[in-house]
Amino acid sequence: MAVEIRLSRTNRIYRPSEHLQGQIIVNSRSSISHYGISLLLNGSVNLQVRGGSAGVIESVYGVIKPISIVNRSIEVRPSGKLPSGTTEIPFSVILRQPDENLGKFYETFHGTDINIQYLVTVGISRGYLHKSLSATIEFIVESDTADFLERPLSSEMVIFYITQDTQRHPLLPELKSGGFRVTGKMATLCSLSDPITGELTVEASAVPISSIDIHLCRVESVILGERIITETSVIQTTQIADGDVCRNIALPIYAILPRLLTCPTVFAGPFSIEFKVYTVITFQSELSKVHPKTDPRTPRLWLAIESLPLELLRCRSDD
Amino acid sequence: MEFRPRDYSAEAKLFLLHRDRAETDPLSVPSSQQANIADDQIVKYDDPLRASDDDATVSGVYLEDTENSSAIGVPSESAFPPAERDWSSFTRFMMQRFSVSKLVSVTSVSNAILKVGKTYERSSTDKHLEELEDPQNITENEVKVVTRQDYINRLREFKDDLVRAWNASDRVTSLKISVKVAKLLKDTSVLQFYPTLFVLVTEILDMLGNFVWDRIRSKTEFTEDGARFCSLPEHFKIKDICQNAKETCYNWFCKVGAIQELLPRIYLELALLPCWQFLDDQPVVVIQRLVMMARGIADPLASAYCRLYLTHCAQKFPSCDIGLLVSCVNDTNAQLKHFIPAKETKTGSSTDSKVLLVGVIEPTIEYIVKCIFKNVSQRQLDGTLVALGLGRNMENSQCVSIVLHYILKELPVEVLSSKAMEFLHLIDRSNDSSFRQFLNYRLHGLRLCERRPPVDIVDAVMHNVLEVIAQNESLDEYLTVIDAYLDIVLQNHLDSCVKTILDAISQRTCNRGIDENGLLSLQSIMGKLLSHYQHLEDVFALSHFLEILDLLVGRPKGIIIISILKMATRSSYIRDPATVELLFEISQALNDSFDFANMKDDENQPAHLLSRFVQLVDFGKERERHLAFLVECRGAFGTIDEVKDTLVHSSNGLAVKALKDAKKHGNFVKSCIAFSEVTLPSISTHIKQFNLYLETAEVALLGGLISHSGELIDSAISCLHNVDMKEGSRAAADADLLLSSIQKLCSLLVMLPGNPDHGSAYFPKILVSFVNDIPWMTPKMRTRILCAILSLLATCSQNRLPYHADNGLFWGSNNVFFGDLAYLHELVSLSELIVENLVNAIEQESSGAARGILALEVCDSFLSSFTLKDETYAICSKLMETAKLCMSDSNKYLQSTFQRLEEKSQSLVKC
Repeated sequence: MAVEIRLSRTNRIYRPSEHLQGQIIVNSRSSISHYGISLLLNGSVNLQVRGGSAGVIESVYGVIKPISIVNRSIEVRPSGKLPSGTTEIPFSVILRQPDENLGKFYETFHGTDINIQYLVTVGISRGYLHKSLSATIEFIVESDTADFLERPLSSEMVIFYITQDTQRHPLLPELKSGGFRVTGKMATLCSLSDPITGELTVEASAVPISSIDIHLCRVESVILGERIITETSVIQTTQIADGDVCRNIALPIYAILPRLLTCPTVFAGPFSIEFKVYTVITFQSELSKVHPKTDPRTPRLWLAIESLPLELLRCRSDD
Repeated sequence: MEFRPRDYSAEAKLFLLHRDRAETDPLSVPSSQQANIADDQIVKYDDPLRASDDDATVSGVYLEDTENSSAIGVPSESAFPPAERDWSSFTRFMMQRFSVSKLVSVTSVSNAILKVGKTYERSSTDKHLEELEDPQNITENEVKVVTRQDYINRLREFKDDLVRAWNASDRVTSLKISVKVAKLLKDTSVLQFYPTLFVLVTEILDMLGNFVWDRIRSKTEFTEDGARFCSLPEHFKIKDICQNAKETCYNWFCKVGAIQELLPRIYLELALLPCWQFLDDQPVVVIQRLVMMARGIADPLASAYCRLYLTHCAQKFPSCDIGLLVSCVNDTNAQLKHFIPAKETKTGSSTDSKVLLVGVIEPTIEYIVKCIFKNVSQRQLDGTLVALGLGRNMENSQCVSIVLHYILKELPVEVLSSKAMEFLHLIDRSNDSSFRQFLNYRLHGLRLCERRPPVDIVDAVMHNVLEVIAQNESLDEYLTVIDAYLDIVLQNHLDSCVKTILDAISQRTCNRGIDENGLLSLQSIMGKLLSHYQHLEDVFALSHFLEILDLLVGRPKGIIIISILKMATRSSYIRDPATVELLFEISQALNDSFDFANMKDDENQPAHLLSRFVQLVDFGKERERHLAFLVECRGAFGTIDEVKDTLVHSSNGLAVKALKDAKKHGNFVKSCIAFSEVTLPSISTHIKQFNLYLETAEVALLGGLISHSGELIDSAISCLHNVDMKEGSRAAADADLLLSSIQKLCSLLVMLPGNPDHGSAYFPKILVSFVNDIPWMTPKMRTRILCAILSLLATCSQNRLPYHADNGLFWGSNNVFFGDLAYLHELVSLSELIVENLVNAIEQESSGAARGILALEVCDSFLSSFTLKDETYAICSKLMETAKLCMSDSNKYLQSTFQRLEEKSQSLVKC
């Protein structure tokens, strides 16, 4: 005897205004009688604090009470009997009921401290004598496109420049004296379906460059009592220059946003999810070989770093 | 037996053919008929060399490889579109071009290769797990060495793994293997091995690209349970693509986009490039971005090959944008400019290694530039040129010389000739160590020559070239460049340029030697000069020409001398004494440089030319001088048979000319004949020698030098004894030649007055004994020679001879013995001996048919030589019996001979 849920879409992505559709598939060698088949929709924001800027006590407490987004039970079949063999029971459940005025349907997000997850569970209750059957599957929620503006214009680029003087951490003496200048521009308002775009030009550098990388980071903040606990983690690194590139030639910045690891920038009451882009220039140095690889954002003597905030939006897609 | 008396002049009149006047010229053929023949001769044929293009033999490594790839379902080579075929032949060429030492050093970047040896026995899953973790347990600077074959085998293993993973629907592993393989291209320290590595890696990537393309395509055409629901048109739009397929496709690009390192990310994106067609109707934008991304690879080798792959992948799109390729070239240009120092700052070893590196990069530039100009339409050409910096304002553009070289090579020739000056300046400006500047000048010249450049620019161009190249101290480089431009100079009759060039060459060579390349260029220059001028005198009149000719040595010298001789022998005579002297000198040089002894007769072109030269020399009235020249020639070319042959002919010719002159030059003729006589014995071919003896004897006879003539004939016959016919294909032909020469000797003997000291039938006797002594003589030859001698004897017996030397001024053979019965008797007795021999000879002939013909010939000969008497009739009848036995009755020869015998025999009866 087995039960499973099969959703209508292979990518399992649904919008709040849409119906979650699919089939409950029950496989049994003999016919079963039951006391009703029901679906349980559950969406919640799970917050936890560990490490990062949290104090010792908070990290001991760990999990903070989750914020519920949706929690609804729907009866698919009244009590009855299922024949032997495979039975497919179709279902269709609207995610956000029009009259329902619960919390916002945040997009699915799996982070370090913040987890926004939507689950659908099927339950077949068979009275006290038999164990009830159940199966759970996660589905992914993306915001309704209607909620958002048109696609941001790509011309909204932020211009930045990196020199020895913009660095707030100590640099190698030869870097400090020889100097360098890297300029660039980047779109800081970005649709989730589009890549991060921009360009970068090495105008001058006395010390040869070893690599230039773009680190995409998420910044998760949780309010715990009176304090805001922030955790920043790298979710994708994209190298755009390998070696000592030619000067005064524009290199494109192009990074596709990874799914599930990104979501629209959220500022909710008890938590927020933001994104940042770090441009890190690694200069050739003997010192860098001695040190093991660490978080690229850690200031080092041979690194030059520039960070830009990145606002992600869910935009009307092409279709 | 009795000789038949003959009246030759009456016979001649009797047998003279009746002549009619012809209305039309029988030799002129109506033209229409000719055209028909020409039409018939057009035959279609297949080029046998082209047919086997696809399965041409290639190096073992590659051969194995193609086998492998066809085994795993990649379409066979012949099914590829032309661009693909170009690519595969190009890659094949590249793998062969760089021969690599057996060992390849491997740095930490590509240590995926290294694990083979150590962990060979572990299960493949273990290996994958380990590799996915990618432990950095080898310190950075350590360099390991693996054999080339191991490296290639490892790559092949990766390929097999990838196929296995894909077939097992393990797409993630497939992608991971591809990324790992692409990462190997980061390691450019392998240098010479890099092209091979590139080819093998891109093969794997192309395979992945095809897999993904097929998978997504099948998603658009089939539902999940395998039912076909639509069929994708050839040029589909993204609206034709279902959401599910787009989703999968986008997913692939997300995965590839997540690759951290730049180089493997670009390669993977390129491999999947065609798949953008599922997501975007304008995939060109994507390639543009990739072109720009490739700028981020600082290593010149890695980026050059990355652009090569980019070019290859961009061509998979139906319409390949040339602008992209132009950007690629410009980027390479910029990068090399950054990387290669100008010539002035070159410092020893670092430049050497860079030259090596440029050598490895070179094919990529060649391929991309070729692609640009192969695909460019006339409409796009201007734009392309502007984009390459070769538009209107070329004064400011700069180009790395290696890139410039390939642009010059592929550029349409119209463009080059319309901007010849601008390109010259550009070459002048691009003087770096990536390519030798003078070779670019050379190419410029060669390309200009492809189509005659407009006259108005030629002057300026040549002026400029000469000025620039004059600064070049090296003789070889000077020659190389000049060689390329010489055609233009000559076409436009820039005589002053020719003078400048020759002056410069002579000046440069005055104190230095010339190396092999220089020699070849010089040879080509000389050759062009020679073929340009009509008359040899004009060439010799060029300043320093002979001086420069002396510079040449060895084979090139021989070749030039041969062309000079060819040119000299084109005319019908050579009269100018100065020219003769020069030609003689250079011929001597040719003679010294060639080893005539070891050459076969048929291929001995120099000998032909030399003898032709000797033959054409003509001093007119100054015969003494001519003879002196011949003597000189004999001294110089005494080793060449063919020349000696000509010398004898020439001296005989001189003698005859002198004889024809009103004034007699008795002594001169004697010296000519003496010359011939002395020259003759050293000719090694006996038949030739024999003929020349006869010729000289004839001339001597003509000159009234009877005893000379007799001696010469004596020598000729003794020379016959040395002839040795060997078995073989040539023997038959040689025997025929010899036979006709002997027949000629017989006819000559008619004119030679007999020598009373020797007796009347001296020469015929010697000949008969010769015929009987020689072991290799065939019955056929023997019969014919004897027949000839018989005719000779019959003729000698006549009171009037059919012909005389010099119109009867000299006595013939019979005059000395006129009316001498003993003489006649001797002739008869000799002829009786001959008849006997003839009958025997016929018996010896083994072949029946040949025996029949010989019998008829002999019979004929008897009938014309002898008066038919009983005795002769008996012999003739016997011969006829023999012939009848061997031949069919219907044979015309048999019938006519029989008839003739019958006629004669009737007259016999009447008597």
